[in-house]
Amino acid sequence: MSSHEAPLAQAVKVTKRFQKNTDFAERAAIALGAMQAPPVVHALDQVDLEIRRGEVVGLVGESGCGKSTLGRIMAGMLPATEGDVLRDGESLSALKGRKKREMRLATQIIFQDPMSSLNPRRRVGDIIGEAPRFHGLVDKAGQARLVAELLETVGLQPEMAQRFPHQFSGGQRQRIGIARALAVNPDFLVCDESIAALDVSIQAQIINLFMELRQRLGLTLLFISHDLSVVQHISDRVVIMYLGRVVESASVERIFEEPNHPYTRALLDEIPRIDRRNRSFSTIRGEIPSPVNPPRGCHFHPRCPHAFDRCRVERPVLQRVHGNHESACHLNDLPPQQQPPRRENNQ
Amino acid sequence: MSTPLLEVENLQTHFATPAGLVKAVDGVSFTVARGEVLGLVGESGSGKSITGFSLLGLLDPPGEVVGGSVRFKGEDLLTLDPKRKRHIRGNRIAMIFQDPMMTLNPVLSIGTQMIETVRAHDKVSRSEARQRARDALGKVGIPSPEERLDAYPHEFSGGMRQRVAIATALLHGPDLIIADEPTTALDVTIQSQILAQVQELCSELGMGLIWISHDLGVVAGLAHKIAVMYAGRIVEQGPVDHVLDHSRHPYTKGLIASTPMANRRGVPLHQIPGSAPSALNRPAGCSFRPRCARATEDCRLAPDISKHHGHEWRCFHPLGAES
Repeated sequence: MSSHEAPLAQAVKVTKRFQKNTDFAERAAIALGAMQAPPVVHALDQVDLEIRRGEVVGLVGESGCGKSTLGRIMAGMLPATEGDVLRDGESLSALKGRKKREMRLATQIIFQDPMSSLNPRRRVGDIIGEAPRFHGLVDKAGQARLVAELLETVGLQPEMAQRFPHQFSGGQRQRIGIARALAVNPDFLVCDESIAALDVSIQAQIINLFMELRQRLGLTLLFISHDLSVVQHISDRVVIMYLGRVVESASVERIFEEPNHPYTRALLDEIPRIDRRNRSFSTIRGEIPSPVNPPRGCHFHPRCPHAFDRCRVERPVLQRVHGNHESACHLNDLPPQQQPPRRENNQ
Repeated sequence: MSTPLLEVENLQTHFATPAGLVKAVDGVSFTVARGEVLGLVGESGSGKSITGFSLLGLLDPPGEVVGGSVRFKGEDLLTLDPKRKRHIRGNRIAMIFQDPMMTLNPVLSIGTQMIETVRAHDKVSRSEARQRARDALGKVGIPSPEERLDAYPHEFSGGMRQRVAIATALLHGPDLIIADEPTTALDVTIQSQILAQVQELCSELGMGLIWISHDLGVVAGLAHKIAVMYAGRIVEQGPVDHVLDHSRHPYTKGLIASTPMANRRGVPLHQIPGSAPSALNRPAGCSFRPRCARATEDCRLAPDISKHHGHEWRCFHPLGAES
């Protein structure tokens, strides 16, 4: 497989379960039936995701849906319990030595809270310059020059390299986080709620910065967010997750114009928007179930207004509904006259 | 409308910190009528939460209300004797906070806490108080309220906890609720449920509501009136449609333009240059001046409030002045 044909990054049937580690005594007690095994959190359940070079993929879902876990697995920060992650067609788990290190450098992650991901005791110049120096990308003299360049790239002044993280505002700190990620020449950035903690006017600055960097450096982005309007603004393709599964994936236009999955439709109806005034908030009922004990069949069925018998027992698989538009919903198998209206009210 | 439910005039709250005097709220005036929802919007540090706290006297030292008046049904809350104030606070005016885990006591059951709240203001028996607590839980959409009264806060999800906080606020059928970012920590679908509930309760019970939020989208959908705060002052306020569609203050306009919207996909968002000034070191005159494209020498003086049909703004060079 030639590298420009394979997707830049791909998750293949990735499953991730978290369970508290047990010690020897606990394992013995569980074996003897004196203690219950610790609960298993089903964070991801056979997730497929494909990210093509140059694309911005928005990964959307509510808390606990596994979007951050998927982001970390795609970035190689967490191992998958089952399934595989491919980078340029090669399996991450099979990579070794220099190739593995190169892959890790080529994928960088930007976190939500810049203050907790920047070392408060180090100067910004060292925070940004450490990785390229360690990996031999620059020498000592080159480090200062690189840091100055990177600071300018993200819209800060080169003199700021001498300062400490606490001397910056939230938006500036996020810019430092971005500069640090860019320092090792990555081609793939995973942005995990990178703008969620920022004020609206600062959010706009950082969104613009991401879009500009993407153009200029040809970056591929996996943009993880709970905020649909931000995702709509920045992404080419949107992937919607619910409780550890991908429920729908399509180009940004399709998702917002012709959402297929009932969950996606509910989400879209509920985004607060400035142009929606004095509206009555109509809602999907119920809460997100716990990933410790997800419902059978379709995970969304207890909250879905259109659920029928099949939804309660059989897991719907992602299938093509149109072009590159995929959705995991049994309703699509019903004859058209039995399907619920696709869009009740737009406003 | 005769007298509004709440009239805040020239409210000033200062914090005397070792680093200097912080004028967190610097001359804020607004009114809330019965059944009216006021959205108080601003970015972090704008003073919107401190305004909410000041109304009820919930400030921690060194915070202090140093001027202005807060008239609730004609009585000035700031000069009221403590006994009378206690009668109004929690009874006629209730508050809901952002994080219900902070406001609920983790070692007492929901029922105990709600019964205590009922009996703090009304001399009723425990069983009657319990019944009222149960009814309130039912009203905010908590399933099987009778059993849930015996549950502890950690047994509820975030959204449910916020419902409990709302139910507690409703116990005395208050005339006014002050809600400080109550849905910020919640997921979209849960936020929507809470908003639907609040909306219904307000119109049903005719309560006034002050909804403090940073989210213009939420406020646009919920509120009748919007007040936009920047650096301790309300820079613009008025009916929702006027403020959002015909913004006069450049900051309001900038905020709206920097919010991603469906029809501007992929287009760079409008940026307000720079960031909000530190509360210790605000520019003299109009605080927005250093970030404002329309600023001139005039803006070194603080602009007065201009009014037009219930729409107010503080700007020497308002937008839309041409028309």
